[in-house]
Amino acid sequence: MARCFLILENGTIAEGTGFGFEKTIVGEVVFNTGMSGYQESLTDPSYKGQILVMSHPLIGDYGINPRYSESDSVQVAGYVVREACRDPSKMYGGKSLDDYLKEYQVPGISEIDTRSIILDIRSRGVLKGAITFDDDPEKLLDEVCKMPAYSSKNWVGEVSTKEIVRFENKGAKKLALIDCGVKGSILSELKKRFEVIMVPYNVDKSFFRNEEIDGVFLSNGPGDPAHPAIQESTIQTVKAIKEDYPIMGICYGTQLLARAFGGTTYKMKFGHRGSNQPIKHKGKVYITSQNHGYAVDEESLEDTGFVADHINVNDGTVEGITHKELPVFAVQYHPEASAGPHDTMFLFDEFKKKLEESR
Amino acid sequence: MKRTDLKKILVIGSGPIVIGQAAEFDFSGTQACRSLREEGYETVLVNSNPATIQTDMDTADVVYIEPLTAETVAKIAEKEHVDGILSGMGGQTALNICSELAENGTLKRLGIQLLGTQPEAIAWSEDRELFREIMLKIGEPIPKSKTVCSIEEAKEAARELGKYPVLIRPAYTLGGTGGGIAYDEEELEMIAGRGLIYSRIHQVLIEESVLGWKEFEYEVMRDANDNCIIICNMENFDAMGIHTGESIVVAPVQTLSDEDHQRLRNATIKIIRALEIEGGCNIQFAFDPETREYRVIEVNPRVSRSSALASKATGYPIARVATKIAVGYTLDEIPNRITGKTYAAFEPSIDYVVIKVPRWPFDKFRTVDRTLGTQMKSTGEVMAIGRTIEEGLLKALRSLEIDKSYIDPGNWSEEELENELKVATDQRLWAIADAVRHGMDADKIAELTKWDVYFVNKIKNIVEMENELKAGLNDDILKRAKKMGFSDEIIANITSSSEEEVRNMRKSKNLIPTYKMVDTCAAEFEAETPYFYSTYETFNEAAPTNHKKVIIVGAGPIRIGQGIEFDYACVHGVMALQEEGVEAIIINNNPETVSTDYDISDRLYFEPLTLEDVLNIVENENADGIILQFGGQTAINLAMPLQNALKGKKTKILGTSPNDVDVAEDRKLFSALMDKLGILQPKSGTGYSFEDVRALATEIGYPVLVRPSYVIGGRAMEIVYNENELRTYMESAVKASKAHPILVDKYLSHAVEIDVDVVSDGKDIFIGGILEHIEEAGVHSGDATMSLPPQTMSAEVIAKIEEIAVKVAKALNIIGLLNLQLAVKNGEVYMIEANPRASRTVPLVSKAIGVPLAKITTKVMLGRSLKELGYVGSADHKNVVVKASVFPFLKLPGVDSILGPEMRSTGEVMGIAPTFDESCYKALVSSGMNLPSSGGVYITVNDNDKPEVLAIAKDLSAMGFEIYATKGTSTYLREHGLQTTTAYTISQNMDPDALGLMRGGKIQLIINTPTESSGARRDGYMMRRLAVELEIPFLTTVQAARATVMAMKRAASGPLDVIDLRTYCGNKN
Repeated sequence: MARCFLILENGTIAEGTGFGFEKTIVGEVVFNTGMSGYQESLTDPSYKGQILVMSHPLIGDYGINPRYSESDSVQVAGYVVREACRDPSKMYGGKSLDDYLKEYQVPGISEIDTRSIILDIRSRGVLKGAITFDDDPEKLLDEVCKMPAYSSKNWVGEVSTKEIVRFENKGAKKLALIDCGVKGSILSELKKRFEVIMVPYNVDKSFFRNEEIDGVFLSNGPGDPAHPAIQESTIQTVKAIKEDYPIMGICYGTQLLARAFGGTTYKMKFGHRGSNQPIKHKGKVYITSQNHGYAVDEESLEDTGFVADHINVNDGTVEGITHKELPVFAVQYHPEASAGPHDTMFLFDEFKKKLEESR
Repeated sequence: MKRTDLKKILVIGSGPIVIGQAAEFDFSGTQACRSLREEGYETVLVNSNPATIQTDMDTADVVYIEPLTAETVAKIAEKEHVDGILSGMGGQTALNICSELAENGTLKRLGIQLLGTQPEAIAWSEDRELFREIMLKIGEPIPKSKTVCSIEEAKEAARELGKYPVLIRPAYTLGGTGGGIAYDEEELEMIAGRGLIYSRIHQVLIEESVLGWKEFEYEVMRDANDNCIIICNMENFDAMGIHTGESIVVAPVQTLSDEDHQRLRNATIKIIRALEIEGGCNIQFAFDPETREYRVIEVNPRVSRSSALASKATGYPIARVATKIAVGYTLDEIPNRITGKTYAAFEPSIDYVVIKVPRWPFDKFRTVDRTLGTQMKSTGEVMAIGRTIEEGLLKALRSLEIDKSYIDPGNWSEEELENELKVATDQRLWAIADAVRHGMDADKIAELTKWDVYFVNKIKNIVEMENELKAGLNDDILKRAKKMGFSDEIIANITSSSEEEVRNMRKSKNLIPTYKMVDTCAAEFEAETPYFYSTYETFNEAAPTNHKKVIIVGAGPIRIGQGIEFDYACVHGVMALQEEGVEAIIINNNPETVSTDYDISDRLYFEPLTLEDVLNIVENENADGIILQFGGQTAINLAMPLQNALKGKKTKILGTSPNDVDVAEDRKLFSALMDKLGILQPKSGTGYSFEDVRALATEIGYPVLVRPSYVIGGRAMEIVYNENELRTYMESAVKASKAHPILVDKYLSHAVEIDVDVVSDGKDIFIGGILEHIEEAGVHSGDATMSLPPQTMSAEVIAKIEEIAVKVAKALNIIGLLNLQLAVKNGEVYMIEANPRASRTVPLVSKAIGVPLAKITTKVMLGRSLKELGYVGSADHKNVVVKASVFPFLKLPGVDSILGPEMRSTGEVMGIAPTFDESCYKALVSSGMNLPSSGGVYITVNDNDKPEVLAIAKDLSAMGFEIYATKGTSTYLREHGLQTTTAYTISQNMDPDALGLMRGGKIQLIINTPTESSGARRDGYMMRRLAVELEIPFLTTVQAARATVMAMKRAASGPLDVIDLRTYCGNKN
């Protein structure tokens, strides 16, 4: 068992046991409160560049299975757990977390008082941090403090598709999916209902002129929606087409939509990451899966034509917006679940209906 | 929105503690009442169990301690003009009453609404056929099955399923009573036959076997707006085939992928919607690890033991929220009290694991079949919280308070071990650990036990750590062992050192536990409610306050001999501390109880109750005092060790000093004290070997009462009549040694036993109650029927008793509670024992006299005098209170139902009325006895009892009962002018014999006092077992027979009144 350290910008240096791939990494430290679905989180592109702390102490218990990957690799920069299961249940094949992280060259640290780290994040907000297997962690603390802010990097650029990919679905409506780091399960929900054309986040506007499509989907993704690279590309594209198609957004897609219509977004203290977030929509409560560190500013929606019609029951933040006239809506949470509850899966059907109703 | 059309709401409790229905319903009922009252509703509560917080006059506005029958509840509802009845808080007992009130039109007639679970939902979930229809309609898979009403139909159904084993499940029963697994047709006949009898509607289900599948439970809530949330899910270590109440359980589920968890979550929500349940509901699933198919097994449309566990496991108050939903609120309108910032409309996330381990009564029933199956046998459970499965398990093991606090090596042969792994008993954990020690492959163990290998490997990790410890202790290993959950004591045992040495080593390395908060949200929000557990990590969240504070040590799991009564006393202790402005801290490990509701105390530590765990909390809190008098023997056993450990520290043990406790518990010292005080005692002595004990018994003279020292509930206590019996006892029941002496007492035959509950402040005493046992001395006081005040004692005897109470309380320097057990024979009063702590009868006495004894005790311990509190002398009584006991014989095949010096009852009920006969009738009905008003009585008594039984038989005859009797008894009765039918003994093998008459429905009551001949004993045993199974009241002492018949006579003369407790207490003044 390798000695390993978790270093936080607040000066915390926690010793633990390393697992996965032995290397030093830095990243923004965030936490997730889901009790199952660790593999889905590990492979969620929205975690790009982040060190993920799991609040549930036992991780890896049912092993790793290809069917639970949300993308083709592990996306988190580093993984922090109380216990990484050595001998998982064999019901799903029994592959261990340790082997999995080794395979994707991602370091993990276990035997950490994760609750105490989460309490730090809760009081201070997300923290910069590092995982290292070096014997002199103090050395790294300075580097961590000086590390550029998470918002300063164009993370979407790292996870978005480089080329246009088409998924046939005979007879179905044609949907352009602007990929900012789309989760596999969103793609699969869309593929069930539409013919999907997945395009890069910075796809040229001419694509929409040349291609006959029925609707647009804005995916989830990592990083700050206010980043200049996004502002210049995706947001401009959305601005150009926003009145032409039915549009649905999820998570990052919500923030893009709000911004494209003139609203603003902000970085949350420590975000929402987990499978138990209650939201209220049309008088009913739904339990949702979430993973976001940025949110739409409700006041900024005033002149955008949007209403915030999905609201977080816990903290009152905007969890979804619907346009008063246009067939455009987006939710900050993840109706596709994976991991998490399926309570709001119906939104994909509503979107499908919107496409069928328009023209 | 809150309903404004309701003013007064009736809450139905669950009655006495029985296997399958324990303290969890006091927890839910109490939460319900508090929840209703904070909304401004007037609450009426009915329960027959006095040892409950819900029957306190400050929990509900109006309290009735009355039998839980539909008839009584209807009377109360009518008298109180209630607008609604909350149906889902009193377990199956309350649901059944509500169904009956709906079916017989009472609700309609009185214009009362059922709140919470509706009659349709009860029927849908309880009636197998309806349930099946609904599941088919919504497309949820259930095991293939058929409902049958006869044994022939059962056989046909099994043939249709095509393969054995098949499951038999009776409809409308508690804890699976009468259910079972049949591996062939013969077994099917037997089990189905029994099940048909137990079912309230004579219906059983024959079902496809899902044995060996995984078992999961989901706790879900739904409101009128159709919002649904999952509170918690739980995974059984044991596979399907073992009742969930009998399995080790972990929360949350560990071995399901999110995809499969969501499949079950979706199914759960679909089901609660289809059943239209508004409130809480528990759903059980079987899950095939091979195919990942699942089946819906069972739905409980109410709060349950699982929901109590889920509440404690997550911090989410299910009963409280279900109550709010029942009066119209939606989940998003109810604040989450733990965080104070969020709402009830969310799903708890937990950042620890919770392990539940059942507590079985097999130490009490040496002859019982210990195999675990679909029928519950456990009386209680412990819960432990840890950051790993290993830590949770190790904490749970030392919380159980059985003879082992660790999975230490057994001495099974390979073959026995394999069998032990295949057939689950209470020994399973030990067998798995031993299999690991023997080098058996984890996969092989998993295959034999049907456990997921994941869980087997957790045991393996523990055994590997044990091996590391064995190899030698160093700082690193100690640190890892503590982190894994090993106690100092176990580490000391493994490394051949002492607990104190390990503790010192640990503390010198600054290895002290950190306390983490249970906050429903995995630290995402700041929480306001201090509910903690220990673990060895870096950050301690339980920073002590600067207030004056006192710790109360709880009583641990519900077991025979230590039941809910002690939890009642603990909760009262908390209330009294708070009334005095002192911060109250509870330590306990029983998830069913009110004391472990985070809402009760100022701080709750959910921890084991060993010296180490308690001491760690004492040190973390730096408390002013600690109270050990309320937690039964569990707490009192800590007195001496804690006193030693606390020398020179701020924290003081409050109340009677441990040295005086020791005098009371040490036979020799106590006996000498009694001699000095001039108090009579039965002759007694202490032996350290068979020879010692034999010599003592001869000197004292048979019959003698023998038992090991320092036990609760008279465990392994017996009356022996001669040397042969003594030899058998010494060989089979106990191991006598220097450390474990055997106590020998003269058994006073035909004496009347007396219990006295006293509070003393060191100067004055207050006698709360003197209780007279109905059965003669020799029946354990926990089992005996009792009357308060005494019915047959002269004023002179009472004066003697009071004088003894004063003398003993003074001599033992009692500060707090003292319970005396005395025997009265020929006008003389003998001391049997003195317990310097809360007794089992404290709640009953408190209710009877309207004085909260445990609260007064607490205040006295804080330094107040009885004079200033206004309680000196003896309490007076205008009413008669009768306590009756409830026995688990129906659930425990192979156990003889005869009463003796070893306690067997699981719970108790109280009758209160102006006269003894009325009160006795209420108590007996409450205890579940089907007292007949007509039919046949079977009488067979020993010669000594014949004269007394004659008068009883005459009464019965006059009431129109037909008298059946064995030859001897029959001849005697006839000689004295009674018409009787003579029945043959079973051994005569002729018609009609007792068993035939019973099966034929001719016998509604049996009076059988045992004789010494072995043939009669065997006959008696068979008869008693059958009576248990057919639920025919069975009286084994002539005194109980007399009281019962008088009660029946009273009931025959006209209806009994229902009167609320406040009115009773008001009458007194």
